[in-house]
Parts: sequence; C-alpha cells; structure tokens
Amino acid sequence: MSGFAARGLTKRFHRGVETVTALAGVDLTVAAGELVALVGPSGSGKSTLLALLCGWETPDEGSLTLGGPLTGRRPADLGWPELALVPQALGLVADLSIADNVLLPARLRGQDETARAGLLLADFGLSHLAGRYPQQSSLGEQQRAAVARALLLRPAVLLADEPTAHQDRGHADQLLDAVEAATREGSAVLLATHDETAWARADRVLTLRDGRLTGGLPS
Amino acid sequence: MSRPALWRLAPWTRAPLLGLRQPAAVLAVLVTTAVLACALASAPLFLSSARSAALQQQLAAGCAEAGWGQTGVVVRLLDQNGDPTGVEPVGAGTDRALADGWADVGADAAVAVAITAPGPVTTSGGGRTSLPARVLFRTGALDHVRWEQGPATGTAGVAVPASWAEPAGLAPGDTLGLGGATVPVVGVYTDLFAYDPGPTWCDYRPLFANDASADTPPPALLLASDAAVVDAVSPGTAATELLRQVPVDAADTSVSDATALLRDQARAQAAALSATGAPADLAVPGTRLAEAVARAELVESGLRGPVVPVAVAGALLALVLVAAAGSSWADRRATEVRLLAARGVGPVPLAGKAALELGLPALAGAALGWGAARLLVAALGPADDLDPAATTTALGAGAAAFVAGLAAAAAVAGLRARGTAERAPGSAPHRPARVPWEVGLLLAAGWCWALLQGRDAVVSERGVAQVDGLLVAFPLLGVAGAAVLTARLLTALLPRLRRWAARRRPTVFLAVNRLAAARAATATLLVAVTLPVAVLGYTATLTAGSRATLEAKVGVQIGAGAAVLSVSRFDPTPAVTAAGAYVVRYGSASVTDPEGGRTDVQVLAVDPDDLAGTAAWVDSFADEPLPDLLARLEGPDVDGRLPVVAAGLPAGPADLRLGSLPVPAQVVGTADVLPGRRTAAPVVLVDADRLPEVDRTAGADRTAELWTDGETAAAQEALTAAGSQRNRTIVPADVQTTADFLGITWTFGYLSALAVFVGVIALGGLLLYLQARSRVRVSGYVMARRLGLTRRTHLASLVVELGGVAVAGTVVGGVLAAGAVALVYRRLDVDLLRPPTPLLDVPWTALAATVVLTPAAAVLAALYAQRAADRADPATVLREDAWL
Repeated sequence: MSGFAARGLTKRFHRGVETVTALAGVDLTVAAGELVALVGPSGSGKSTLLALLCGWETPDEGSLTLGGPLTGRRPADLGWPELALVPQALGLVADLSIADNVLLPARLRGQDETARAGLLLADFGLSHLAGRYPQQSSLGEQQRAAVARALLLRPAVLLADEPTAHQDRGHADQLLDAVEAATREGSAVLLATHDETAWARADRVLTLRDGRLTGGLPS
Repeated sequence: MSRPALWRLAPWTRAPLLGLRQPAAVLAVLVTTAVLACALASAPLFLSSARSAALQQQLAAGCAEAGWGQTGVVVRLLDQNGDPTGVEPVGAGTDRALADGWADVGADAAVAVAITAPGPVTTSGGGRTSLPARVLFRTGALDHVRWEQGPATGTAGVAVPASWAEPAGLAPGDTLGLGGATVPVVGVYTDLFAYDPGPTWCDYRPLFANDASADTPPPALLLASDAAVVDAVSPGTAATELLRQVPVDAADTSVSDATALLRDQARAQAAALSATGAPADLAVPGTRLAEAVARAELVESGLRGPVVPVAVAGALLALVLVAAAGSSWADRRATEVRLLAARGVGPVPLAGKAALELGLPALAGAALGWGAARLLVAALGPADDLDPAATTTALGAGAAAFVAGLAAAAAVAGLRARGTAERAPGSAPHRPARVPWEVGLLLAAGWCWALLQGRDAVVSERGVAQVDGLLVAFPLLGVAGAAVLTARLLTALLPRLRRWAARRRPTVFLAVNRLAAARAATATLLVAVTLPVAVLGYTATLTAGSRATLEAKVGVQIGAGAAVLSVSRFDPTPAVTAAGAYVVRYGSASVTDPEGGRTDVQVLAVDPDDLAGTAAWVDSFADEPLPDLLARLEGPDVDGRLPVVAAGLPAGPADLRLGSLPVPAQVVGTADVLPGRRTAAPVVLVDADRLPEVDRTAGADRTAELWTDGETAAAQEALTAAGSQRNRTIVPADVQTTADFLGITWTFGYLSALAVFVGVIALGGLLLYLQARSRVRVSGYVMARRLGLTRRTHLASLVVELGGVAVAGTVVGGVLAAGAVALVYRRLDVDLLRPPTPLLDVPWTALAATVVLTPAAAVLAALYAQRAADRADPATVLREDAWL
C-alpha cells in the first residue's frame, strides 16, 4: 500500500481585487496504514486541502508525493482503487439506487464486487435501502452509502470530509470501525472531521487554522 | 416597526437587473416566448397571406385585365329591333368622363378601350366584305400585332386582319365604309388566332377566335389607330362600349388593396355616370376582381376552421415550453429562491420576482416571435402581401403571448420555489399524473371520426374546396392521445428495462437508469419527439397525395400535360407526331348497352406505340401498365371485331358506333381510368391505323388533338403547318381553377408548418430538459469520472439515452402517421366529379429527412450536454452541492 506526503502546499483564491490564501505552506504526511484526523474551524481550508490532495485543485506552490506503487503519479490520475474520497457533498449519482451507487466503481471497471458491496451495505445498515434512490434516503443513510462506495475497492488512500457529520453515535462508530479496518489493511486515511470520537481513534490529529497546519488538537 | 412591503425590498427592486445576470434563463425565456408569440401571430398572418395568394392565383390564371379596375359605359344607338334609341353617340366627352372619374379618386386609368358592335363593311369598290366587322381601339394595341403590310404612319384609320383583307383585296391606303363613315386602312396584320399573340390580347380572344367552332369565325376585328376613329364610326353602329381601365400588378395585390380598388371603381363609375347622364344599367364596371375577392375570402374562411384550432394547439404547446423555461429559472436561482422561501416568502411574491426578472426577456421574445412569424409567413407562406388588419391582429397576438408567457413562467417559477412541482427521482407520481387523461383525447378523436362518417370530408362552396375541420381535428387529437398513451406505456416498462440494463455495459446501464429515474421527463421527451414526427408524416403525406391526385385528375381530363385541339381535317405530318401524341377524338360515339339501348362513349383513336410516353398515367389506373394495355390494341381481331381498350365497359364484344358508322369491337383490356376522359361517359381507346375511315357525313364530331408534356407552342406551330386552322389549347388552368383547391393544400401546408414548429418546440424542450437536470447530471458526472467513468463512456450513454428516445419517438410517430393517413386519405377527394380517387403519394424525401434529423438532433444534444459536463469544475460543483 501507499502513503503520501505534501510539502509546502499553498493555495490562493482570487475574488475580484481580493486574494484569499486558503492554504499557506502546508506540510502533511500520512503513511500507509495510518489514520490521521484533520481538525479545524469552518473556513480553515480543510476542504481545500482535500481537494488538492485528490487532484481536483492545483496548488499554487508546493508538491505532493505519493508513496509505494503510486510513486511518480499525480493524484488526479489515480483511480478509485488507488485514491477514494468521500466529499462533504457526498457525490452520489441521483439517477442510481443506493446499491448501484456503492457498486459503481466496480461496475465501471468490469469487476464483480457484489458480495463485498452487500457486506458493506449490511454493516452500515443500508441493506433495506438498496433499491432506493439517494433522495429517498436520509442524509445519514446517503453518507454511509458514500463511505461504503469509498471502501468498496479497498483504496490505498482514503480522503473523507466530515464522514460522520450526519450520523448518530452508533452509526458513526460503525463508520469509524470500517475506516480503522481499512487502515489495518494498509490504507492511508485522512479524515477531516469535527467528531471528537474520531480524533480519539486517530493515530494523529492535525489542526488547520487560517491555512496553516499544526500538530495536536485545537486549543 | 412595520415590515416594508416585499416589493420594495432589494430582491424585487433589483430583480430586472438580476434577471439579466442569468443569461441561460434569459435566453430560455426569450426563445420560448418567441416561439409562443410566433405560434399565436402566425395564424392571422397566414390567413391573410392565404387570402392574398388565393386572389393572386385566381388573377394570374386569367388575363391581366381580371385584376384591373374598370369603369365603362355602353352606348346603345339601336335597340334589339334595330330602331334608334335616341341616345347620343359616343364622343370624346364620354371617355373623358370615365377618365375623370378615376382621376377624382387618384387613380390613373391609363388604358382606354372602345369596342363597337359588329356591322356590315363596304370596300372602296362598293362591295361588301365576306364577314361583318367590329372596330376596337385599345391603348397600345397596334404595338402588339404582326404587320404583314404597313402600318402607314401619320394616318388615322384601322388595321385589318389578313384572313379578312385577302379575299377583299384590301391593302394600306384603301378605304372602308363602316358605321356611315369612311375609314382608311392603315395596315394589314396577321390574324391573332394564327399564333400566340401574347398577354395583351388575352382578354380579347373571344373577339378574334371562336374556340367552340372553327367553322363559325367571329366578326373581323378592325384595330383603330386612335379613339377618334371609333368616335367617327360609332354613330353608325348598334352599340359602342367604352371602358377605362386602371392597370394593376396582380402579382402582389392583397385583398385589402383589391377592396380599396373596388371602392374607387364604384366611386369612379358613379362619377362617370353622373357626368354622362347615362343610366346605371348601362354601366360596365369590372366584376371579375370582385368575384375573385369573394372567392379569396371564401378560401380564407374555409382555412380558418382548421388553422385557428391548430394555432391554438401549437400555442398551448409553446406555453408549456415557456412554463418549462420558468422552471429553469427556478433551478438557476435555486439558492436565492430557497433562502427566500425559507424566510417565509410565499409563491405569489416569488412568482412576482420571477416576472420582474423575466419581464424584459419575455418582452423581447414576444417582439422577436412576432417578427419571426412575419418573416416566416413572408418567406414560406402562400404570399407576401398581408392586410394591415392582419398585421395589427398579429401584434395583439404577440402582446397576448408576452402576457400569457410571462404569467406561465412566473407561476411555474413560484410553484417550483415552494418545491411543489419538483419531484425527486424515483418518487411516486402524483395522483393526477396516474390518470390516463390522454384517453380523453382518443375519445374526442373517435367522436370526430364518427361525426365525419356522416358527412363529406371535403366540401365545395361555390366551387371552392374546403377541408372539414373535423378532418384536421380527428388525426391531431388521435395522434396526440396515442402519442401520450404510447409514451405512458413505454415508460411503464422502464423499471423492467432497468433490471435488464443492470447486466449490461456501463453505457447502457447509465442511460437506462437516467431515463428510469425521471419517468415523467422521459415520457414528456418521448411525446415531444413523437408528436412532430407523426404530424409531419401525416400532413406531408396528405399534402403530397392531394397534389398528386389533383395533377392526376387534371391529367386524365386533358389526356396529358396539355393538349392542342383542332377541328380541321388534315394528315398528321412527322412534325406533328414529333411534337406530341396524335389522338383523334370522336365526340359522337356510342355503344349498345345490355338493355339494347345506346350509351354514349368517348372514342380515342391513338397510336399505341406513341401514346404511353406522353399520356397522363398512374399505375393505380389499371392492373397492368399502360404500354401493356396499348399493346393489346395491336393484337388480332377477335371474331372479326376490332380490339379496343376501355374504361367503364366490361371485357367482351362492344358494338360501337362513331356517329352513324358501326364499328364492331371487342374490349380486350380494361382499366379503371383512361387518359382523355372529358365527360362521365366510358372511354374507349382504339388503334388509329386499324379504325375504318370515318367520313364527315357520319357525324362523328371528330376532333384532332395533340397531347404534349405541357409545352404547346411547338404543337401549335406543327398543327398550323400541317393545315390546321384555329387551334385551341387545353392547359391545367383551363380544367381546374387552381385557386379552388388552394384551401386543401394550404390547410395541410399549415399543418406541416405546425409539425416543424412542434419540432422546434421539441428541440427547445430537449434543451430545457437537459438544462433542468444539468445540475444533477453534472454533479453525478464529476464524481463518476473520479469513480472510473470515462468521458467516452459518458458521451456514449448520453447518445444512447437521448438517441434511444429519439429513435423510439420516430418509430412511434411514423406508425401513428401511417395509421392516420390510412384512415383519412381516401376521404380526401378534392374533386368528386373527376377520377381518379385519392392517390397515396408518400413523400419519401421529407420522411427520410425526418428519420435522419431526429436522431441527429439527439446526438447534437448529447454533445451539448457532454460539453456542459466537461466544463464543470469538480471542486466547485461539489462545493455548491454541499451548500444545497
């Protein structure tokens, strides 16, 4: 499996005459098999950092290096088995059922992961919703489906933005259990989260404030 | 502190400017309102255009003078017993009064005409000429004759026709005595009946040619060099007719122009009568223009029945599109609208906000639509000449489109804002959507069909054929109902199709799931494709069939594209047979009927080897081709009987008589219709070379005819060279007044335009469908790309999705069109008196274009949707989704 390392990541946004620095010189390393929690207030740049790490945004300065078999590749070029993500908006396809959303990464590769999908749906209490459309489910159920989709192909790197935001304690723990299981299988996991339970279960906690990263919990 | 009224808050006060910042919504409302305005405005413009075209085509079919203003006076010096009436003879004063009458109304009556009644003529030698003569003066007439001798310049007198001058030995310089005056001969001109003298003489043909009989020529036509010659001659004639005509170019005359001219004509005539003291019954005003105007208005009234409902139906469809544009606005302004709704702003103020934002685009769209209707009618309509009242009505229609369109868009936008109209994918349809209301349309169609059984589908009022409105309503209602019902049934299969697609490639899987997730939208899109395909197929086929049937009826009557007739006896020369198919018609022919009596027949002696290449023929006329039928004429005699081919007689022996000459015949071939049928009597074709000589004394009423493909000049010259005199032509305009059937072709032409219009609406609906679901599509696309979806696979799935609907709609539309045509086309007999019965002429080119263009439009729409998806920034899209 692979981890990744970011050095001096800087991202600025220009809004008219104003320039906003969302990230300023962020250094971040997540090793294979490591669960890192990213903490910070709203507007601190967490989502921007995740967007840079998955390749949806390009940094103005700095570099991102992937380890192991992903060495030399760009995040934007990675497939779902290499880098999976759970965006804050979840990104479920509205025209597909819950089950089809979870299975989509495998279907697009011609792989049959029906059994694993069934297990994930059962683990997250979604089996009875398999045939429903996302909008026919609650936000929490949609969120669990998004996490199940991310875990389907056992990704080398998993990025998740507030994956337990809409969960009760019980379901949140189910999700964290699954994420921990992924790290035991070698995935490098970065969770942006306000969930203190997640902080406690993480190997490390990093705090992002005003675009700068510090170690440890926020004060 | 009281809350300020909502209308004074920034979201409303700034709404007009805010609206302009949403170019997609602006464009959607502008275009859809333009479509609505075009639909509403097109009806009065089209009717006015049709009215003008009906008038123009009637006038074009006749002589130019039919469309001119005309006033006149007949001065009778002798009554029918030949006694003097005591009326003053004509003089310059009479003509001046006529001219002044026109001048008083501001018109230039540039053409003066004076015609005397025929009278005896004496030559300078004292003898009488063989034929009486009349004198004609017409402005510019002598510039349009062929001179054989003269003209003598500087001398007032008359030009004489050659055939009249030659026996009398007349030449320029001689004098004639007519009407008590002595008139010099200024020249000899070629008889006008000997060649095509051109449009100048069109209206005067009865004065120089007797088309009914070559043996009874009309009085000689002496052409006066000026009006004073007529003034000099008229005291000695029984009557003189004086006319003043206002030339008008009928090619661009509208009914309102013609009506204004008729009003001026009436005033000018009254003024002339007053000035001359002539009684009203001696007035000779032009009547043909008034008759043409009345028939044009009849054509328009016949069109109004089908056109107005069709325009309303098109406008309602367009209104749905405008409403969809309002829904699109709600999507585009979703964030603000939801915030306002969450703050307690109700649907009415939200609708008001939408109206303020969309008002300017709607106004521009209405103006654009009116302009488009005007341009389309001018470019594609029957005529470009519209009445001012129609233009004003169309402006009102445009204003109504603005009001109705804006109200619809705003209402839907307000409803969408409260979420009552937005439905999540896969959710159960509202109860009203489950009611198969389209069955009501089918029942209405069935009711119209039942009513049609009891009456004629095509009625003729004063010769003008009009389509019964039910014949238009029935198929449109049926097609619309069947299209919606078929779409409902097909989309009901989508869940099953989705299960099937689960085992298919991602291309098909994604496409089917998108269709299944939005069944209502899918059904709407399917109907939007089916309707224009069905209506276009139906109207194009009926239009083509009506035209083909009319052409066939005319062709059967004439025998070919045109015919030149001659009652002279002459031997056909090689030039004659080269110019067309030579046919000899025996008008007084009969056959013994089964009861032993005699039945009239039309016998045509033909050259079997030559006729088939020229004669009007449609394969449905007989069970075998015409050449095969004609070949039977060359077969052996049957029991001494001449082989003949007949339409209207059974096979077997037929005792023919050509006048008094018996001709035993055997009908060896039969057809339902044969070319050359001029009466209702059966038609018999016989080989001319095998027919016995039919002498004049037999009284068979023999006419020689030369059938051509349409050109008659060469035929006329060939016949004249062979010795024929006083030829007469028959062209399609002589058989049927085209204007009488304009209502038929224009009704279906307008329906075809409706089909294209609905196609435009369908295209607009397709784009709005894509636009409305674009956020959902793009959001799903950007994430799916991350999941492993390739751009190529996504584009392919769009093509499958949209192309599948397009192909299904095309197939269903084609089937519905075929069914509607099969039910209706036999009822569309535009002329019951003449065969053949309605023909089916499938416009393969138009249908092929539809079959190609419809899926092509779907592919273009897929490319458009792909481009929109490609341009999306994943981070931005998902960030916006998170806000929502």
